[in-house]
Amino acid sequence: MPGRLAQPTTMRQPAAPIPSPFQSSIAKPGQGKVVLSLLPPANPTLTTLTYKYPLKLVPRTGGFVPSPESSALSDSCPSHPVHLYLLTYGGGLLPGDHIEVSITLEAKTRMVVTTPQGSTKIFKTDPNNSANSPNVIKGHRKQMPANPSISDMSQQTLDVHIGRQAALCYLPDPSVPFQNSRYAQIQTFTVDATAKGDQRSSLCVLDWVTQGRTSRGENWNFRFWRGRNEVWAADEKTGKSRLLLRDSVILDDESEDTSDEEDEYSEDEVERTDVNIHNGLDNHSNSNSNSNSNSITSSRPRPPQNGLTPMNIIQERTRPHGVVGTLILSGPVFEALGSYLMHEFQTQPRIGSRNWSDHGSAAVPEPSVSHHGDVTWTAARVRAGFVLVKFGAKDFETAKHWLGGLIREEGSVTREFGEEALFCL
Amino acid sequence: MAINQTQDQSLDEEIADLEERLKNARARRALATGKAPFLDPSNPIPVHALLLLSDSALPTGGFAYSNGLESYLAHLKLQGRIANPEAAFDSFLALSIACVASTSLPYLLAAHRQPEMLETIDNDLDASTPCVVAQRASLAQGRALLGVWERSFRVPYTSVSDAEAVTAVKILERFSTGLKSRNNPDEGLGPNGHLAPLWAVVSRAMGLTAQQTAYLHMVNHAKAVLGAAVRSSVIGPYMAQSILASQRLQEMISRRIEREWDTPVDRAGQLVPAMDLWIGRHELLYSRIFNS
Repeated sequence: MPGRLAQPTTMRQPAAPIPSPFQSSIAKPGQGKVVLSLLPPANPTLTTLTYKYPLKLVPRTGGFVPSPESSALSDSCPSHPVHLYLLTYGGGLLPGDHIEVSITLEAKTRMVVTTPQGSTKIFKTDPNNSANSPNVIKGHRKQMPANPSISDMSQQTLDVHIGRQAALCYLPDPSVPFQNSRYAQIQTFTVDATAKGDQRSSLCVLDWVTQGRTSRGENWNFRFWRGRNEVWAADEKTGKSRLLLRDSVILDDESEDTSDEEDEYSEDEVERTDVNIHNGLDNHSNSNSNSNSNSITSSRPRPPQNGLTPMNIIQERTRPHGVVGTLILSGPVFEALGSYLMHEFQTQPRIGSRNWSDHGSAAVPEPSVSHHGDVTWTAARVRAGFVLVKFGAKDFETAKHWLGGLIREEGSVTREFGEEALFCL
Repeated sequence: MAINQTQDQSLDEEIADLEERLKNARARRALATGKAPFLDPSNPIPVHALLLLSDSALPTGGFAYSNGLESYLAHLKLQGRIANPEAAFDSFLALSIACVASTSLPYLLAAHRQPEMLETIDNDLDASTPCVVAQRASLAQGRALLGVWERSFRVPYTSVSDAEAVTAVKILERFSTGLKSRNNPDEGLGPNGHLAPLWAVVSRAMGLTAQQTAYLHMVNHAKAVLGAAVRSSVIGPYMAQSILASQRLQEMISRRIEREWDTPVDRAGQLVPAMDLWIGRHELLYSRIFNS
């Protein structure tokens, strides 16, 4: 267990940030560094754990132990998982925040990372309306510099090195970008290129984004959201690395393009046509945009500050979903889950045929649910043994139950990492 | 009066002449600023190559792929969202063009600018292709293009004196050898042969500029999608040609290219998440006429 540098387990923190004893080693706000080592005989230990406001990294003590006795450790399960909470003050990121987390999992270690805040909120600070801002300590985050186009982007980078036979299970909350927010996230995972077979590094990474706060009527009204996940295979001896997988989603309202009026016009035309189809038939999905169609036809070019009105480009490109996401699986530890998901995908009822119904398994989230449009998903075994799942669902809850259901039904994640690995699902 | 009439007439002629010259000057100006790159009179040779590469008879098998259209239509039908197929297709075409531009143009432009990086770019594009259906389509077309290059275009275009083109020819040769001698196809880490980077290097070997290459790639994509729409009876063949000819499509393509012109490959990404789902779920269609 991560005894050495254990923090208080309670999530409640004093109002002012505690001066970190490691402040000298951390250069910038928002940076954090974690190294998980396996000390003999089989004692996973956080040999480095530093972070700086507004980031917080909290190891959970007394967490999951796969079986009552440590003698259960084996070649396939060489150590117990360590659970790390990744938090930010206010439960999200303010414009200008730059979170930078570096995690190293040394050989044979295992780590669960979750974000116990319900969602990662991407705030937009509006000078005229501070209601959007989180309740954070005034003065601890820098005021936005004068040039908004550069400064109002929130960024998060996560850089994880996964050693030989080590495993990362990272199933975080979805990113919830608020109206007019801008956010870019880069997650890089580096695995050991020389490890073969059962020695390979394993990873399970979920990355999902929602349409915003539906309670406030937000429906993909942010300005920019980019999520990039890369997996690299690095050979320490030769220093060479090779890109194994790049998953990159860009949701951009393109309001910053240097576009002339004509371009604006043509885009709007596409949207209008489409909204008409929408109004004509589609009664059961996405009533938000229906109610907005009048303002679309009457407002051109789009009102820049009034994100709730038009059928914007991001809505158009994610329709009919309220959440989209990606699950990346690789390595021996997640092989069973990957195969299970591939099987579930391939046995979904055929589209356009009569539904003979017994094709779908009796899994908790019935494939027929996705068949009827609540969850639309696809799974593919792409190169280098990766299984890539892409999904779109009508809302966060639907996606959460669907994915949580599938992973629990298969069971290997719970067995290997404990139910707490599914904290966010 | 007679004198006045003659004066009027000569003035009219002068005006007409000036107007004509103005029109010509404007046209030349438009050409110089790159509005119509492939008509550049200062660079006449590539026009022939452009015609070759834009030919729908080019045996790369593009007609076998609907680029997600078939699956998209099936999903709309499933959700009861299809009222007006023409409007639905119109919307799909815009999405498809945006998607292809954002996911493949950065790789295409990188390969055109640095053909020597072909293998790395090919690998990175393979790593960035999230679904096997799209991957299969891109590989089949890329390898077919390489085949056409080797069998038909290589000999006539190797004699070109342009040093850059000669380099591109050599790179294609090396890549092709690598592709044929790939020892472990299951690993998926050898040369793959994706369409976008190969398209770029073949075009470069044939003397096309980056702008021409990108535009041609996008037009060919639009043609493929329109062709699929005709074959799926969503629109008629005249409608397809009229969309293809439309100012709107031209502007859409130019705008997407402009947007991706300076995008580094690691910033390439999916602008249309729904597209990945439609293409990935093509495999689930009960009956299908296209391979993707």
